[in-house]
Amino acid sequence: MAGNRKSQSAAIRFGPALKALFLCMLIAGSAIGYVWQKNEIYRLSQQISQSESRLKHMTDGNEKLRVKLADLRSPLMLDQRARELNLGLSPAQPMQVWRLPEPPAAPPESDLSARQLAARQAGAPLAQ
Amino acid sequence: MTKRLQLRRVLMLTVLVCAAFAGLGYRLVDLQVLRHDELAKLAQDNTQREFRQAPRRGDILDARGNLLATSIPVKTVCADPSLIGNQQAVVAHALVPLLQMSEAELLPKLFPHVSKNEKGEMVTNNLHYVRLQKNVTEETWQRIQLAMSQLSFGVDEKKLPETGRAFFRNLRQSAISADPDQMRVYPNGSLAAQVLGFSGVEEFKLDGRPVSQISGRDGIELALNSALGGVAGWRVTETDRQNHELVALRDEDVQPRDGLNVVLTIDAAIQHNLEAALADAMQKHAPHSITGIILRPQTGEILALASLPEYDPNTPASVTPETRDRVITDVVEPGSTFKIVVVSGALNEGVVKLTDEFDCERGHFAFAGKVLHDHEPFGLLTTKGIITKSSNIGAAKIGIRLGEQNLYHYAWDFGFGQRTGVLLPGEVSGILYPVKDWSKVSVAQIPMGQGVAVTRLQMAMAMAALANDGWLMRPMLVSRLEDRNGKVVQKYEPQRVRQVVTDATDKMMIEALKTVVTTNGTAQGAAMQDYVAAGKTGTAQKAENGAYAPGKYISSFIGFFPADDPQVCISIVMDEPKEGYYGGQVCGPVFKEIAERCASYLNIPPDAPAPLVANAGNLR
Repeated sequence: MAGNRKSQSAAIRFGPALKALFLCMLIAGSAIGYVWQKNEIYRLSQQISQSESRLKHMTDGNEKLRVKLADLRSPLMLDQRARELNLGLSPAQPMQVWRLPEPPAAPPESDLSARQLAARQAGAPLAQ
Repeated sequence: MTKRLQLRRVLMLTVLVCAAFAGLGYRLVDLQVLRHDELAKLAQDNTQREFRQAPRRGDILDARGNLLATSIPVKTVCADPSLIGNQQAVVAHALVPLLQMSEAELLPKLFPHVSKNEKGEMVTNNLHYVRLQKNVTEETWQRIQLAMSQLSFGVDEKKLPETGRAFFRNLRQSAISADPDQMRVYPNGSLAAQVLGFSGVEEFKLDGRPVSQISGRDGIELALNSALGGVAGWRVTETDRQNHELVALRDEDVQPRDGLNVVLTIDAAIQHNLEAALADAMQKHAPHSITGIILRPQTGEILALASLPEYDPNTPASVTPETRDRVITDVVEPGSTFKIVVVSGALNEGVVKLTDEFDCERGHFAFAGKVLHDHEPFGLLTTKGIITKSSNIGAAKIGIRLGEQNLYHYAWDFGFGQRTGVLLPGEVSGILYPVKDWSKVSVAQIPMGQGVAVTRLQMAMAMAALANDGWLMRPMLVSRLEDRNGKVVQKYEPQRVRQVVTDATDKMMIEALKTVVTTNGTAQGAAMQDYVAAGKTGTAQKAENGAYAPGKYISSFIGFFPADDPQVCISIVMDEPKEGYYGGQVCGPVFKEIAERCASYLNIPPDAPAPLVANAGNLR
């Protein structure tokens, strides 16, 4: 046995060493990856939780502001405020409303072009 | 010999090891196969929690998008008495001003009460949960958290062992907690209270914890409860010891579906005008109650509906039988407003013309053993004059000429004796007896509005039919249902019920009804300055205990304007008014006031004859 050992080469066998190193790195990498993944899951969970709570907070705030806006715009409130401030406001009476006649409908585009053409033929400048 | 002994020992050891492995194998099969379901459930129960995600109740909006009812987020503050130890007094002292409760009320809730649950297990305050206060605002809850975190118990906690420090830490952090909740709010107070109704809180248990849910109790809140309520979601997840969710272990997360928003046909500004005018009339005439309806005859859309006395839906304790929605729940004899049914029926059948004359017997008419009376002794009156003067005897004679079957047929076709189908709970159908149950005098009494009982809404819809070319419409209170983004989910369209009278008859009736608001008519107080109005007065004696109560009247005026292109129909009814009792006298001016405000708000062009308009303008 001793003779056999002696006859062995003193050179390092890189193949098995590399294999062992690769295996170790793989295991270590997997372990680190697993821990990193768990860490990320935890971190993202925290983020989700915080975002959800912020969203809830903002939605609730939005609801409150919406109710406040509705309060301020409500006819009842406006009427009360107008009375409190003695602004002398009252609904317009029918005879205080001026109703303007509807303007005549614009002529169709083809008519307009014909008139513009006629004006051009007569030497009149075209209105821009 | 030694070898055999060794062999025997090895054999015995092998048997023992095999037996042990067999035992372990059996245990494995027992746990993993035979009791799998039971143990899996137990494990799940220990780790998983299911949370209900409450939907947001939908809003109720008026036709212009004004908020009439909404839900705001609040907190339900609760306590875990098992974490408070013997520090109840300190905790109560800190919370009393914030929860607005008395110490005597709060203190007992903080003590653990041991009791048996349904399974016979001893539990502390129903799974360490006791509710302290509902509807606590977010701001108050933050103040409660601050107060709890700053609690001082008068001991040097640093010198305490770890268990003692953990106790105080848990007390501050977890003894008082809050569940999300919502509260129904009606920003306009009592505005349109009977239409909106009110809501209450329904409670049920989920995983041993009480869960509350808003549900409608009356009005639109009740009628459209399921649409407003939405559908709850849920979340299956795991929690830590302090009941905080471990988001990474969240399993199922189904979001709730929020309730739909209900958009009404009611216009808050018109409703406010109506209620203000009714409140003024209530003060002036002190009736038991007063109701008003404003609707669009062409579509049946109800723009405003009010019944005084009313309540504030924000405080359901203010709801009493007196504040019911009398417009649909109460039936009364309509009185003279019912004459529109008999006269339009007779005109439609061609049995009378507007110019036909009837002898009104100077106010006393004996028929079928009874004597009918008029409020004034009239002689000869035309059909039109009968409407103008509101002659009972004239209407009775038209009814006799129309005949029992026809009278019943027109009353039914105008919608009496049946529900109008308005989307409000509690509507009654009124009383319209079939002809076989009529007495001999019924054919003369019903045209006067006696012997028949109607709701105020039925009567308003009948008048609106005359303002709509004889077409009876179904009353519309809801315009559409929308989701939270404003997308229309369901649209309600106007529905024609039937054409009761022809266009020609309708025009004749409008001609007759226009005369009611003239100086010759019974409701000159209802005449509008810039519009020609048409309508009918009613003054019915109140029936009590099977007889007419002397001095007690139901007064009404139902009218529409502009008479030749009706845009708005308004009904005003007072129950037992003081300072006058004739419909035209007490309800006519209220009609006028409301109608003029409506005309201004809705920008309805005046239709009064030119000279009148010009004079009116000069006067200003």
